[in-house]
Amino acid sequence: MSVIEAENVTKTFELEKSRILVLDNVNFSVGSDEFVCLVGPSGCGKSTMLRIIAGLEQADSGTVRFHGEQIIKPNPKIAMVFQLFGLLPWKTALENIELPLEVIGASKEERTRTAQEYLEMVELKEFDNTYPHDLSGGMKQRVGIARALALKPEVLLMDEPFSSLDELTAKTLRELVLDIWRDPDLPTNTFIMVSHNVEEAVFMADRVIVMTPRPGRVIGEVEIDIPRPRLSHIRESRYFELVDKIVELLEIGKKQNQH
Amino acid sequence: MREYFVSLIVGLVVLCVMSWLIVTFVAYPEVKNLPLHTYATVSRIIITLLISVAWGLSFGILAATNKLASLIVTPFIDLLQSIPILGYFPVVIGFLFALGPLGIEFSVIILLFTSMAWAIFFGVLGAVSGIPANVAEASRAFGLSGWRYIRHVVLPAITPAVVSGANLAWCDGWFFMIAAEYIQYEGRVVPPPSGGLGYLLARAAYYYKDMNLSVILLLFITFIVVYFNVLTWHRLMDRVSTGTFKPVFKIDLSGVGKLGVTRMNGWLHFRRHWPKSFFATSQRLRKYSRIEKIIAVVLALFMIFLVLRSEGHHIPTLDTIMRGFSEPPSEELGRLPVLVSLTMMRLLAAYGISLVVAIALGILAVEHKRLAVVIYPFYDIGQGVPILALFPVLFLGLNQLLGAPRIALEFTCVIMLVLDMIWYMFINILSAVKNIPADLREVGQLLGLKGYNRLRHLVIPYILPAIVTGSILSWGTGWNTIIFAEYMPSTEPGVPSLSVPGIGSLLDKAGYEYGNTIILIFLLGVIAAIVLFMEGAIWRRLLRKFEKYRVEV
Repeated sequence: MSVIEAENVTKTFELEKSRILVLDNVNFSVGSDEFVCLVGPSGCGKSTMLRIIAGLEQADSGTVRFHGEQIIKPNPKIAMVFQLFGLLPWKTALENIELPLEVIGASKEERTRTAQEYLEMVELKEFDNTYPHDLSGGMKQRVGIARALALKPEVLLMDEPFSSLDELTAKTLRELVLDIWRDPDLPTNTFIMVSHNVEEAVFMADRVIVMTPRPGRVIGEVEIDIPRPRLSHIRESRYFELVDKIVELLEIGKKQNQH
Repeated sequence: MREYFVSLIVGLVVLCVMSWLIVTFVAYPEVKNLPLHTYATVSRIIITLLISVAWGLSFGILAATNKLASLIVTPFIDLLQSIPILGYFPVVIGFLFALGPLGIEFSVIILLFTSMAWAIFFGVLGAVSGIPANVAEASRAFGLSGWRYIRHVVLPAITPAVVSGANLAWCDGWFFMIAAEYIQYEGRVVPPPSGGLGYLLARAAYYYKDMNLSVILLLFITFIVVYFNVLTWHRLMDRVSTGTFKPVFKIDLSGVGKLGVTRMNGWLHFRRHWPKSFFATSQRLRKYSRIEKIIAVVLALFMIFLVLRSEGHHIPTLDTIMRGFSEPPSEELGRLPVLVSLTMMRLLAAYGISLVVAIALGILAVEHKRLAVVIYPFYDIGQGVPILALFPVLFLGLNQLLGAPRIALEFTCVIMLVLDMIWYMFINILSAVKNIPADLREVGQLLGLKGYNRLRHLVIPYILPAIVTGSILSWGTGWNTIIFAEYMPSTEPGVPSLSVPGIGSLLDKAGYEYGNTIILIFLLGVIAAIVLFMEGAIWRRLLRKFEKYRVEV
């Protein structure tokens, strides 16, 4: 049974009177407990696809379903992590995580306790009273992840969550995200990540969905059959085979759209 | 293009018909020359605008690119701007009126200039310092320097700021036109020799006390302003792609105001660093291009000349100062704290009203597309109404309604202040709400922030810095307007002028009725001190506090 199902999704944007087709008949589905990566060149509409799943945008035609029900507005069961973190600069790390809990009407005591719990989980316990301004990029993204988890969502959407971080920080955060995904105590177990980094996708995902340049279409799906934890397997030939396969698909997509 | 010509011609036809109707049906002799008055005012404002742009460009670029110049020019202009324009005006005209009709025309232009120039200067200053460091470095790496740097990097980068600054200046010009063209000197009104719409309106309201004529003239003036706005400014702004609502004033305030109280403190220690900074200055001097050197020298000579020419032969001695303080209206100085607090209360009331209304309208205009359709045209027209010209008309109307001139003046004063202050608040808040980054909006949507929660957690915190910036500007302009708004000049000889008690009206009395320059300057000093104190004690502190709220992109 798939959790997220995209069916014939088409989306155009209007830009100064000309219409630009960004998503052209996109189909895929994501199952429970699955970690899926959407990979494609920049501007291919993968972020738009993610926003449609989040309920932030509407498809022009086609549907996106969550447990069989069409997504028409944001749903607390689907959370999102942003490329530029999306933290409110006027709130401390703790207050940022408390915010979603406040919106659903949790008591002050409960919010603080839950927020502290998640802050501890992302290893930022001592930074509860720090403003985003004074946090490093990696720390900010940790807060962003903690905030996304605060409402115990089922699905976590990530829009290039590591692309504004340096490689060392990104590496640590990838491990953190995988730990969260594997944690049996957390209800958040379906992950959809948008990335343009093929190595990252192969390292993290169960399945990689490859998209063409604009207008974005799905050109292929690659099953990643490397055993986890993968840190010990990234020097093996299978890893490079899969990376090459995805890069090849990207190249084909590029050529297709040139004609 | 076709649309443009149609609106050009339709507008002109409407203007002609309007002026024909007014000329035909109004009996007063002055009004018969309406087209000439219109021509005089429009060309006066255009001339002043050109001067202001030239001045703002050269001084703005100079102050932004040159450390030494910014050390001298910026604080000086900051000070001039802090001092209410209408306040130091009597001093200037006394000197210029001696030159005859040309001197009167010249002083009108000077008064207009002092109200128009700041917007352009500070816009340019902000835009030049806003050029990204990497662009500046890259162009230096390619060997661009001096004039070529200005030509290829600075000018293109600041064009939007210049255009929107010029637009603001244009509106400010219309705002002050009525004060500039209706100068009182030694108890009598001195009309500009070539006339003007402001003069005409003041005449209709103050002298003939004709409500209908005042309203008609006001509509006529508003139409002209809106006509020009639609015809030139909107198109210009579109072309430089600033968007109509680019905040000209969203300058980095910490870079501009060098006279804040907090900085004063630093100045006191200046002496200790003297040798070092002197050395640095002489080093920097060597790096100047020839043009910069010439400009600096010409400027310095001009300023020295001005000071010598106007003040050289009567530098006030202790004796004249003492005499000034013993002549009327010195007896009122004892009540100064009361007068200041009365004025303060008016400003506070007006500030409170404009704050609430501007926040509400600013947020509504951006967040609700349908309301925006209603609000924007109002904004356009409201921007076009020369608010100062409203003063006599508003007073006349309220006086007829209430029958009590003093209460009517009190109300008029606060309404004027609101109309004046709200504009800066609104434009700053509007652009801030518009600039809320997409990802923050999305976060709000995802978390289900709505209504009050959305305002409290997302919108209001985001626009706080803009509110502070808007507050600084609206208090500045408020202090300026209060001098005009607390005092209703007498219309005929022998009839006492009408005023509400306050420091503004006292200043007017000292200037217009008693010609007491010493007290005038003293009161200006008091006002400047209050403005600077508020800036240092409140606004700068708030700005610094909100600094970390700024969203990094």
